[in-house]
Amino acid sequence: MAQCVQSVQELIPDSFVPCVAALCSDEAERLTRLNHLSFAELLKPFSRLTSEVHMRDPNNQLHVIKNLKIAVSNIITQPPQPGAIRKLLNDVVSGSQPAEGLVANVITAGDYDLNISATTPWFESYRETFLQSMPASDHEFLNHYLACMLVASSSEAEPVEQFSKLSQEQHRIQHNNDYSYPKWFIPNTLKYYVLLHDVSAGDEQRAESIYEEMKQKYGTQGCYLLKINSRASNRASDEQIPDPWSQYLQKNSIQNQDSYEDGPCAITSNKNSDSNLLSLDGLDNEVKDGLPNNFRAHPLQLDQSSDPSNSIDGPDHVKCASSLHETKKGNTGVIHGACLTLTDHDRIRQFIQEFTFRGLLPHIEKTIRQLNDQLISRKGLSRSLFSATKKWFSGSKVPEKSINELKNTSGLLYPPEAPELQIRKMADLCFLVQHYDLAYSCYHTAKKDFLNDQAMLYAAGALEMAAVSAFLQPGAPRPYPAHYMDTAIQTYRDICKNMVLAERCVLLSAEILKSQSKYSEAAALLIRLTSEDSDLRSALLLEQAAHCFINMKSPMVRKYAFHMILAGHRFSKAGQKKHALRCYCQAMQVYKGKGWSLAEDHINFTIGRQSYTLRQLDNAVSAFRHILINESKQSAAQQGAFLREYLYVYKNVSQLSPDGPLPQLPLPYINSSATRVFFGHDRRPADGEKQAATHVSLDQEYDSESSQQWRELEEQVVAVVNKGIIPSNFHPTQYCLNSYSDNSRFPLAVVEEPITVEVAFRNPLKVPLLLTDLSLLWKFQPKDFSGKDNEEVKELVTGEPEMIGTEVISEFLINSEESKVARLKLFPHHIGELHILGVVYNLGTIQGSMTVDGIGALPGCHTGKYSLSMSVRGKQDLEIQGPRLNNTKEEKTSIKYGPDRRLDPIITEEMPLLERNQRKRKCII
Amino acid sequence: MAVCVAVIAKENYPLYIRSAPTENELKFHYMVHTSLDVVDEKISAMGKALVDQRELYLGLLYPTEDYKMFRKLHNSYTDVMCNPFYNPGDRIQSRAFDNMVTSMMIQVC
Repeated sequence: MAQCVQSVQELIPDSFVPCVAALCSDEAERLTRLNHLSFAELLKPFSRLTSEVHMRDPNNQLHVIKNLKIAVSNIITQPPQPGAIRKLLNDVVSGSQPAEGLVANVITAGDYDLNISATTPWFESYRETFLQSMPASDHEFLNHYLACMLVASSSEAEPVEQFSKLSQEQHRIQHNNDYSYPKWFIPNTLKYYVLLHDVSAGDEQRAESIYEEMKQKYGTQGCYLLKINSRASNRASDEQIPDPWSQYLQKNSIQNQDSYEDGPCAITSNKNSDSNLLSLDGLDNEVKDGLPNNFRAHPLQLDQSSDPSNSIDGPDHVKCASSLHETKKGNTGVIHGACLTLTDHDRIRQFIQEFTFRGLLPHIEKTIRQLNDQLISRKGLSRSLFSATKKWFSGSKVPEKSINELKNTSGLLYPPEAPELQIRKMADLCFLVQHYDLAYSCYHTAKKDFLNDQAMLYAAGALEMAAVSAFLQPGAPRPYPAHYMDTAIQTYRDICKNMVLAERCVLLSAEILKSQSKYSEAAALLIRLTSEDSDLRSALLLEQAAHCFINMKSPMVRKYAFHMILAGHRFSKAGQKKHALRCYCQAMQVYKGKGWSLAEDHINFTIGRQSYTLRQLDNAVSAFRHILINESKQSAAQQGAFLREYLYVYKNVSQLSPDGPLPQLPLPYINSSATRVFFGHDRRPADGEKQAATHVSLDQEYDSESSQQWRELEEQVVAVVNKGIIPSNFHPTQYCLNSYSDNSRFPLAVVEEPITVEVAFRNPLKVPLLLTDLSLLWKFQPKDFSGKDNEEVKELVTGEPEMIGTEVISEFLINSEESKVARLKLFPHHIGELHILGVVYNLGTIQGSMTVDGIGALPGCHTGKYSLSMSVRGKQDLEIQGPRLNNTKEEKTSIKYGPDRRLDPIITEEMPLLERNQRKRKCII
Repeated sequence: MAVCVAVIAKENYPLYIRSAPTENELKFHYMVHTSLDVVDEKISAMGKALVDQRELYLGLLYPTEDYKMFRKLHNSYTDVMCNPFYNPGDRIQSRAFDNMVTSMMIQVC
């Protein structure tokens, strides 16, 4: 697992906190709405106690609670929908991307240097949201409501009346059979009466008097006067006050009663508080259309989010962008707590402190004591009796039954107030107030009871929490019982078929194992929970397992890479394209350049495809290009598919920027040193009886002997002309330049005589390549040799047929793995310097010659025919390296290459062309 | 008998890799690559135990029966190494080696 911000000792207590319900009157809700917050949200940033708290356990020992946090939430009478939770988790993960420019850790393992991000914030936010969105279950009480805050406003006509109404409402929700949700810890829930007073609008005298009345009725311990809204809302822009809500409201939307969109796109917009407009219209509507107390619907209802950007696999980025805009519009101007001064913040903090000290903790203390008394009496009486009778009936001893034997029964269910559950309740309460010693012993006893009754779900729950509390015990008197967790996970998953609980178990256990550096156990645990039913979960767990492998004492790099690929695959199935791409890129580091070509091709292909869907076209192109230029070991069909995808992506790139420079194409290979250049008209060496008096022709192989002969002949001619002396600047005429000829000087070409360039192509693929509109690419600098002052030197490029005519080969087919030469002609019509730069062509495949591969094709280029439009225009440069220089000492010791001017002819004025043919003599011997 | 035979250089790149069912080659490549971690683990464990250094067989990555197979493969690999024209670190393209691997694989099909 990757490093986390929170240590496990912080994480677990924060994941299981005492839950408090809040029930507000309309008027009270209106007051908090002025701040764009519900009452529960208002309290959220202050819900952690800043000081230590003391309480007494049943044995009257003083127990210190540190960093206690409470969770206040509005009453929701419907359990969260699994689909909605899934969607929320998906949004949370896709909303959390690695920060740009984050410095990655470099891990060196053996031959590998890997850049790995040490933290995985998306996993942490997933885990946080997951743990918070767990629906309350009957077999445990950890997230059942312990207390209920009843909130009314001082501006109400009859506040005291309102309080009793709220109290009845709460009683109805808890005890009426119509509501099976939310769950309450014990039948007599603690009720805490809160009078909300708006300082800027309300009458302080009246509030005080109501508060006095409340104190009379409910006792000083059971009520509180909370003064808020000291600041008039229209002065909001005057001073800047820190907004402690922003960080909570983005992610913890599970408890939000708002209808704010919390999609991935909205997350950024919550932060932007630049606009201070307070639109009260929308606010009023929200209050009006809400039923009293606003608790009728869970915020996770599916129909609430019809936002297209939230659809799980919405690759449509245009839509996403537009919806981003919409949500931004909807959310800008929302400043939380605009009517609150810093004094108000302190008052809320004080209120929470007071509530916890005077209300909640004494209530918990009392409940623990009651439960403890019950248990002792039960232990004394029924327990001994029960076990005695059991012993009596089942023979000499009770066989310790293993979990495996009990698999066939999913276990019985206890009624909510069953005596067997009381010990679990007590354990949970102890756990919530961080009394882990007592919690452990209670869980341990509960576990035995449940196992005896074969109540498997309950037993698994007790095992899980027993393990966690054993781990959290101060001073660690016993080692962490990992096997408890294993049994719990197995039971949750196989017997109870409850993947959510199993997942919670795995997340906790893996985190604990990680803190003890037991990475391989953690990895095994994480991998075991990956299954077909949730791609997102599997992806995240696989990724964490991969991190486990790399964090081991001797890092397992290859296992890391492999699990990263698996995680990437799952991410892409879950529609998390960015995460998928990131996983593949991380794995690529391990496979790159190691000769694992099949794996490398596969990763490159996936990266290409993911980048394409994410519109990172450049990355897509380079990834696809990589597959093609490698000496590929793929089958022909596979290569065909790769090529088609490459062309498709390339086409898209070039469509986006039609005016950009022509792209460099990777295919086919050009053997540039085999390029031959021929000047002049084609001369047939033998035409009928005539035999040309030359040795040069493109159809002929280079023959060093005959060229030597011709050179000597030419030298003799020149010597005769110059009266026996060969001029020092004499060079033999060369019509055909190839890799054997001396190419160190600029060759001369004659205007109006064609220049033929022979380019050697090679197709490395097992599929044929079709080049269309193949022609040479050149640059021309016209020169007027007669004119003296020609300062203006124009540079011209291909496309001026009046300067240089270019021959175009309309179709040029290279079969699979074939080497083939193409002869391309230029017709210079002007004198000057010509530079042949390269070739330009459309690269394409031939139509319908291959079957469609198994991988499938990109959208839009599915099966079926490929018209010739499935090709891209691009170029390849011709760059010829000259011979290695070996003359001076410096050249000998270093590696230097001379120039090669084969492709840079100088076009000269017309010259007489002398051609001689000789008649073949037939010799009959 | 064997579905995939691989010889891996000590720098972790494949010198030779072949699998019998050709349609799922990618999977085998991934598996072989990932199992290198197990090999690493075994080697580091060996160093501690100080066992006979001449014994090159590390044991099984996964329970199968054969040990002779490794001998055979290793002998063949030694032959390849003895070939003066073979450049250590290059991909193995020897026909004799190929035939030997084929004979190992044929038995399964």
